[in-house]
Amino acid sequence: MKDSLVLLDRILAHPDSRCWFLAWNPSGTLLASCGGDRSVRIWGIEGDSWICKSVLCEGHQRTVRKVAWSPCGNYLASASFDATTCIWKKKEDDFECVTTLEGHENEVKSVAWAPSGNLLATCSRDKSVWVWEVDEEDEYECVSVLNSHTQDVKHVVWHPSQELLASASYDDTVKLYREEEDDWVCCATLEGHESTVWSLAFDPSGQRLASCSDDRTVRIWHQYLPGNEQGVACSSSDPSWKCVCTLSGFHSRTIYDIAWCQLTGALATACGDDAIRVFEEDPSSDPQQPTFSLMAHLPQAHSQDVNCVAWNPKERGLLASCSDDGELAFWKYQRPEGL
Amino acid sequence: MAGSQDMFDAIVMADERFHGEGYQEGYEEGSSLGIIEGRQHGTLHGAKIGSEIGCYQGFAFAWRGLLHSCATEKDSKKLKVLESLIGMIQKFPYDDPTYDKLHEDLDRIRGKFKQLCSLLNVQPDFKISAEGSGLSF
Repeated sequence: MKDSLVLLDRILAHPDSRCWFLAWNPSGTLLASCGGDRSVRIWGIEGDSWICKSVLCEGHQRTVRKVAWSPCGNYLASASFDATTCIWKKKEDDFECVTTLEGHENEVKSVAWAPSGNLLATCSRDKSVWVWEVDEEDEYECVSVLNSHTQDVKHVVWHPSQELLASASYDDTVKLYREEEDDWVCCATLEGHESTVWSLAFDPSGQRLASCSDDRTVRIWHQYLPGNEQGVACSSSDPSWKCVCTLSGFHSRTIYDIAWCQLTGALATACGDDAIRVFEEDPSSDPQQPTFSLMAHLPQAHSQDVNCVAWNPKERGLLASCSDDGELAFWKYQRPEGL
Repeated sequence: MAGSQDMFDAIVMADERFHGEGYQEGYEEGSSLGIIEGRQHGTLHGAKIGSEIGCYQGFAFAWRGLLHSCATEKDSKKLKVLESLIGMIQKFPYDDPTYDKLHEDLDRIRGKFKQLCSLLNVQPDFKISAEGSGLSF
C-alpha cells in the first residue's frame, strides 16, 4: 500500500508558517498555495522540479485560508482571516489584485467559483454564506447573504454542472442552496456527522457529495430527484440527499480535507494524524449502496497535520498535499496491482 | 386502639407532611416568580428584536427616499433589494411570539439587510445595545 503513493517532490512553501490550502489551475499547469504567512504563492513545473513563479504578499493582513481559481483560469480568489476576499487577475506571469470583497464580520474560511464563472461564494466564522455575482467589467455584487448555519462555516463548494452550492459547518451539518426567484435559499440540510464538517467534494457526475469531519468519518451522500425510481421521498421540486456510505475506522484523527479526482474517481483525504489516504469505489458495488476500499495509506506524509489534498485536473494520479509544517508535497498515485 | 394509632401517625408522618407542604408552597411561589421573570425576559428580548428591525426599517425608508430620484440600472437593482427588505419587515408577525418561523424569518431579514449594505457600500455599524459602546484597551 505504501508503494501506491510515491513522493515526487517536497517543498518548504511557507517557511515558519502553516500551509493551509492548495488549488490547481484548470489546465493543471500551476498550483496556488496559501498560508499563515499571509501570502499566496504560485508554483509551476520547470523540468523535474517545482519552482515558485510568483508571490502575492500585499493582499492580506492575516492568514490566507483558501485559494480558488476561476473556471477560465485567469482569476484567483483568496479568502483570509482578515475578513476580506481578494480577487487577483493573471497578467502574464504576475497577478494584480483587482478587487477586495468586504462584508463578512470576521474570518473568511472559504471561497469557491461556480462552473459558469459568473458566481462566487464565500463563507465565514460569522456563520453566513455570501453569494456574489460578477459581470463582464469585473464588478462584483452581493446577491445573497445566507444565515442558515448556526455556527462557523468552514467550506463552500459548487456542484460541477448545476448552480447548486454546498457548505460545511462547525454545527455538524452540510447545507445546500439554490436560486429561487431572484434570491438564494437553503434547499437541503444533511445531518449525520457527529462533529464539525471540515470539507466537501462532489464526484465527477455531481450525483454524489463526499463530506469529511472531525468525527473521523467520511460520508458519501447521493442525490435523489423527485420521482426517482428508488422511491426516496422528496419534497415537491427539491431533490433529496441521503447518506449511502460511511467510511469509519480508517482515520485516527480529524479529517481536514477530501478531494474527489474528476479523472479517475479516486478519493483522497488529508488527516490530522499526518497521513494521506486514497480510497476507490469497488467496481461491483451497488450505486445506491457503494463500498469504498482503502487503496493507499501513507503515514507520516508530513511531519504535522495534513491540511489539504488536491488532484491535478489533467494528469492522472498527480496529487498535491500541504501541511501545518509549511510544506507542500507532490505525489504519484497508482492503483495497486491485483486489487 | 384506632384512636392511639392516629395520634402516632400524626407524629411519625410529621416530617413527611411538612416536607410535602413546604414543597407545595415553594412550587407555587416559584411558579409565580417564574412567570414574572419570564415576562420581563420576554419583554426585554422582544424589545431588542423590535429595536433591531425598526432600525433596519428606518434605514430602508431613508434610502428609498434617496434612491427614488436616481434612474441608473445599478440603482434599480438596489431599489429592488430595498423593496424586498421592506416587504419582509412589513410581513413579519410582530404580535405572535409563537410564530414557528420567527427565527428563520429574522435571519432572512438580517441577511437581506447585510446584502443591501453591501450594495450601497455602507458599513452596518449600528450600536443597538442599551449599554452603549464597549470599552477597549
